[in-house]
Amino acid sequence: MSRLFLASVLAIAIAIAAAPLATSPVLGQAARTYTAPKTAWGHPDLQGWYSNLSENGTPLERPDQFAGRKLEDITGAELQAIKKAAQDRTIASFAGPLHAPEDWWQKDLNMVKGSQAWLVIDPTDGKIPPLTEAALARNAARAEARRANPRGPADSWEDRSLYDRCITRGLPGSMMPAIYGNSYQIVQSPDYVAIRYEMIHETRLIPLDGRPHVSSKVRTHMGDARGRWEGDTLVVETTNFREGEAYRGSNGATLRVIERFTRVGPTTVKWQVTLDDPSTWARPWTFAMPLTMDDTQPVLEYSCHEGNLGLRNILSAARAEEKAAQEAAKAGR
Amino acid sequence: MKNRFSVALALTLVVILSSSAIPLKLKGQGGAPARPARTPDGRPNLNGIWQAMSTAHWDLEDHSPAAGPLYQMGAVGATPGGQGVVEGGAIPYKPEALAKKKINFASRLSLDPEVKCYMPGIPRATYMPFPFQIVQSPNMILMAYEFASSDRVINMGKRVEAAVDTWMGTANGKWEGDTLVVDNTGFNDQTWFDRAGNFHSDQLRVVERFTLMGPDHIQYEATIEDPQTFTRPWKISMPLYRRVEKNVQLTDFKCVEFAEELLYGHLRKDPSK
Repeated sequence: MSRLFLASVLAIAIAIAAAPLATSPVLGQAARTYTAPKTAWGHPDLQGWYSNLSENGTPLERPDQFAGRKLEDITGAELQAIKKAAQDRTIASFAGPLHAPEDWWQKDLNMVKGSQAWLVIDPTDGKIPPLTEAALARNAARAEARRANPRGPADSWEDRSLYDRCITRGLPGSMMPAIYGNSYQIVQSPDYVAIRYEMIHETRLIPLDGRPHVSSKVRTHMGDARGRWEGDTLVVETTNFREGEAYRGSNGATLRVIERFTRVGPTTVKWQVTLDDPSTWARPWTFAMPLTMDDTQPVLEYSCHEGNLGLRNILSAARAEEKAAQEAAKAGR
Repeated sequence: MKNRFSVALALTLVVILSSSAIPLKLKGQGGAPARPARTPDGRPNLNGIWQAMSTAHWDLEDHSPAAGPLYQMGAVGATPGGQGVVEGGAIPYKPEALAKKKINFASRLSLDPEVKCYMPGIPRATYMPFPFQIVQSPNMILMAYEFASSDRVINMGKRVEAAVDTWMGTANGKWEGDTLVVDNTGFNDQTWFDRAGNFHSDQLRVVERFTLMGPDHIQYEATIEDPQTFTRPWKISMPLYRRVEKNVQLTDFKCVEFAEELLYGHLRKDPSK
């Protein structure tokens, strides 16, 4: 009797000890034992609805408080405390007289389930590599152009972000978590993988047939994607980005975004993104996060532009403020 | 000699017989590789990039060539004439709805959702002058349209009801023999059928039928039901053509930025002030 009791205590203790490993799929521990199911045509099956809402608020780079520490060492209670603090900060930042009803998004926001203290996994210090001379010169030229031709925050729609304008969050931005709209869907056929993004609404169509990239004259917001299977990993290489809007000020002509999608558990796909642009960073760098399959979070239609009263109101409010200032100046004269 | 003749005859018969049903492989044109006629789960293989070639996107009904709404566009903005795609010729509007259609046409530059880069809805997305791509999986079929990055996923599993009314609707599909039948409901009343102002209410239901007719053709039919706008259900049909160019792909047409001056131009800061 007591031996049985001891055994079950031991089993529970082992389960608890092993738990941090099982909940850190992004770091790869689970990948060694799990084999993804296959589609009828033999490709790893990634199809379904995903969310990465709980990864919201995770900093891209390693915060200074963790200097000298490894990403995989920050787990358990320490990680949960960080996530809880981030959750409280996020909710507090939306307090005030003007905000959406709390039950629209707060009840689903559970950052405590977030799996990482930061996202950059390579270099191992968690920091984006230094900018090249060319990138520093490019940034300086852009800053100079802004100084020479100063503009207000809402002189026209062009002063607002592509996100505000419901055009795109670009790449990899379209899969970076926000407080709502974090649903994604993957659909596969033998020759294509399609990825749908709820926020703004994007559909990426990724050919697997080995065709070359389109001409460098064809530049699009989401770039030109090519995919291939490397074992059980879907590798997607995207190029042909537009000038002036490529990720983190990089060069749209030379940036390569290399994504790796690996199903590492029944409900988890590891999403790993390498940013390679020799004209921007001293060396390629990589971040990663898990995407969690969740049938309760289907991609719904986000008619962002169709309902974009926000942009209209931002512009009309700016014009109203200018008019009020003019009238105040006249009255004071 | 006689023997050889009968062998040749038998071979010919085999060739004819095997090509009468959907063959095992469909030979592509324009350098495209041969593609299987059926998916691994035995359905007609609709995977590919498709486009309509009719003048339906100008006007579903029979129409003569006509000048466009902007004289500055000259011949570029004019409407080519064409034979309609409506079975029986005319859309069976209720009288008050027909009056609204005429107002829509007269004010199309300000009212047509296409001008503003709004999602085109169903069936309009199918026959706009842009290609669309089908990604076919056993339980879901994605149709991604070049125009406005719009898309929809046809649910092939247990029927789902629309959570809310949307621009692209909620699509439930099933196979009737070799025809994909898609039942679309849950639409809002914001989309049009064409540039002629043909429209519907939020009572719209569209039942589409996609039938593969050969390696590079789909016969497309849509039955349109909206008791608030029409006196009876009516049907359109047209072929869809495979885009057979080597390495053809959709090129994102994110048209929002082409409509912003039109939509927000009056809210731009006046540099003279």
